[in-house]
Amino acid sequence: MPRFTRLARATTMALLLISTTARADIAIVINEASPVRQLSHSEAVNIFMGRYRRLPDNSVALPIDQAPLKARFYRALVQKDMAEINSYWARLVFSGRASPPQQTETLDDVVDIVTHNANALGYVDAGLLPPHLRVLLTLSESP
Amino acid sequence: MIQLLGLLRSRLALRAAASILAIVGVLGIVFLVAAVHLRAASEKDIQQMRLEGLISTVERTAQIACFLGDSQLADEVTQGLLSNRIVKEARLVRRDGSALADHTNTNTNTNTNTNTNEHSSGVALTRTIKSPFETDKTVCELTLVPDQEWIDSMVNEATRFLSVALILQLLGIGLSVILVVFYFVTRPISDISQKLHALEAETGQKLPAPSGHGRDEIGKLVISVNAMIDRLVSSLSEERRQRLARDIEQRRYRTLFDNVEAGIFELDDQGHLLSANPAFCRLFLGGKPFDREGPPIALTTLIHDGGPTMQELTTRRARRDGTRQWEMAVGEGDQQRWVNVMVSRLEEGRLQGVAHDITERRHAAEAAERLAVTDPLTGIGNRLGFERRLELIQRHYRLHPDSRHALMMLDFDHFKQINDRHGHHAGDQVLEQIAGLMRDISRQHDYPARLGGDEFVLLLDHRTPRDDLDGMAQRLTDSINAPLVLDSGQQVSLGVSIGIAVLGSDASEVTTLVQLADLAMYRAKREGRNTWRFHDRHHPFET
Repeated sequence: MPRFTRLARATTMALLLISTTARADIAIVINEASPVRQLSHSEAVNIFMGRYRRLPDNSVALPIDQAPLKARFYRALVQKDMAEINSYWARLVFSGRASPPQQTETLDDVVDIVTHNANALGYVDAGLLPPHLRVLLTLSESP
Repeated sequence: MIQLLGLLRSRLALRAAASILAIVGVLGIVFLVAAVHLRAASEKDIQQMRLEGLISTVERTAQIACFLGDSQLADEVTQGLLSNRIVKEARLVRRDGSALADHTNTNTNTNTNTNTNEHSSGVALTRTIKSPFETDKTVCELTLVPDQEWIDSMVNEATRFLSVALILQLLGIGLSVILVVFYFVTRPISDISQKLHALEAETGQKLPAPSGHGRDEIGKLVISVNAMIDRLVSSLSEERRQRLARDIEQRRYRTLFDNVEAGIFELDDQGHLLSANPAFCRLFLGGKPFDREGPPIALTTLIHDGGPTMQELTTRRARRDGTRQWEMAVGEGDQQRWVNVMVSRLEEGRLQGVAHDITERRHAAEAAERLAVTDPLTGIGNRLGFERRLELIQRHYRLHPDSRHALMMLDFDHFKQINDRHGHHAGDQVLEQIAGLMRDISRQHDYPARLGGDEFVLLLDHRTPRDDLDGMAQRLTDSINAPLVLDSGQQVSLGVSIGIAVLGSDASEVTTLVQLADLAMYRAKREGRNTWRFHDRHHPFET
């Protein structure tokens, strides 16, 4: 298993290096300790847009927004700008059925939360991937 | 209803308004029906568009509600849709068929719902709701059922409004037409009618045009009526003038007709009298006035002698001919009048006649005629009369060859001696007495005449038998042989020799008859005088 992990990491790294030169990508990351290895695009949408707060292994998911990267991330995820995303959440405030992800101000805050919480999901610039974080899904940004 | 019909017949304005109302009403109903139909057809599309619009309005919210499975938000959406009256039912259904939100409008009237249930809901509109983030994923279906009843009621209301508007418009038009027609047409016409009634056209009065209508059709009508009145009045006065002239003419003719001496009459084609003037009545009817209504009088029955027969009077040819004339005797005896009648054709089946009393003229002519054939000394026929009589006898003999006219020729013995002895006056007296004797012996149709001097003849009736001739001759001889007494008291005696010849037996020509009688007379003289001899063919020409 460590061989496989290492190989995967190496592959990911290689892909990331290649893609960095081509375009800026955003990676959805999770604690290395999480049993979840992969996340589909739909699952990412459901979690971040508040439909289901569950990971594929049925554990509770805790999505985290990062202020500097937020606009790029939602554009890459659901092709919507921030006004639309804010309007979406504003509608749901009164029903209380769903709530927006936890808000953070810096990349360090995200890394801190993710490394200390196995169920936390964050997103980072794929070119600046911090260590000890597992990439579940890489979202390519439109040029 | 009948009263209304009568009113319509007698009121132009009402009739015009009713006609226009009927036309506008029919057109209006046609338009209204067409509009309602078109409206109903387009209503479905309009509702469809409105529903689509409604869905588009709430689509984003519905997307989110479905995406999150947020029934509270879904309720908001459906309730919001139902707040629109055209929506009867709004449903949000998940992909697995379970309803996220389902609301029915409860505001609809329950009492109308029961009987119009099948018509109350229209065609449902269904729209798939996509995920707000992944447009290829369907999350829900939104179904809207329109409230057809409400829509219908809206349409009906619009239709009612249109109808009411139309009816009001019709009433307005009708009233306007009545007013306009009354003001511009009916009132001026009844005005003209009344004035026309009161107009005294004979005085040259003219019909005034109603004010404000001088130049329009009503004004022209008045002008035409005035022109007609002018024409009528002028032709009436012309007629009156002519009638007056005709009356005078007629009176003139009437006076002539009544007072003229000549009888004037008219006959129909059957020869019956149609009219007669007083002179005609005096001539033909004995002074009785002609009765037009009485039994028909044929002209021919009034004539005693000499007039035309009915056929002569009335045949087609006779009628076509010009004036024809007859002389006829009317009445008998002393009352007999002679009338000259001229008849001419007046027109088909009508003859006009003029009758003149010519009795005096005729009597005068007859007297002259008598004088011409009478011996002035003796009053019996003279030579001219004898010759005329011979011509008559000749004609009669040619017509009736079996007739026997006998001629006696007398010659007196020694008459010359009486003249010589007693004078001419005595001779004349003797001649007069001989004539008297001959007249006494003569029967009605015998004709005594003195041809001149002492030459006497006696033409006897053709019916006298030969045996009677001897008797006649004997009586003649005897009466002449008797002594004649002159004025002077002297008596004279005469002998007479008589020659007798008979037309038909002895001769067929009167000239021969005279010669034969003459010869027979000379024979009598030769054979002893104072005797008579018949013509004897055995002694024809003795000298």
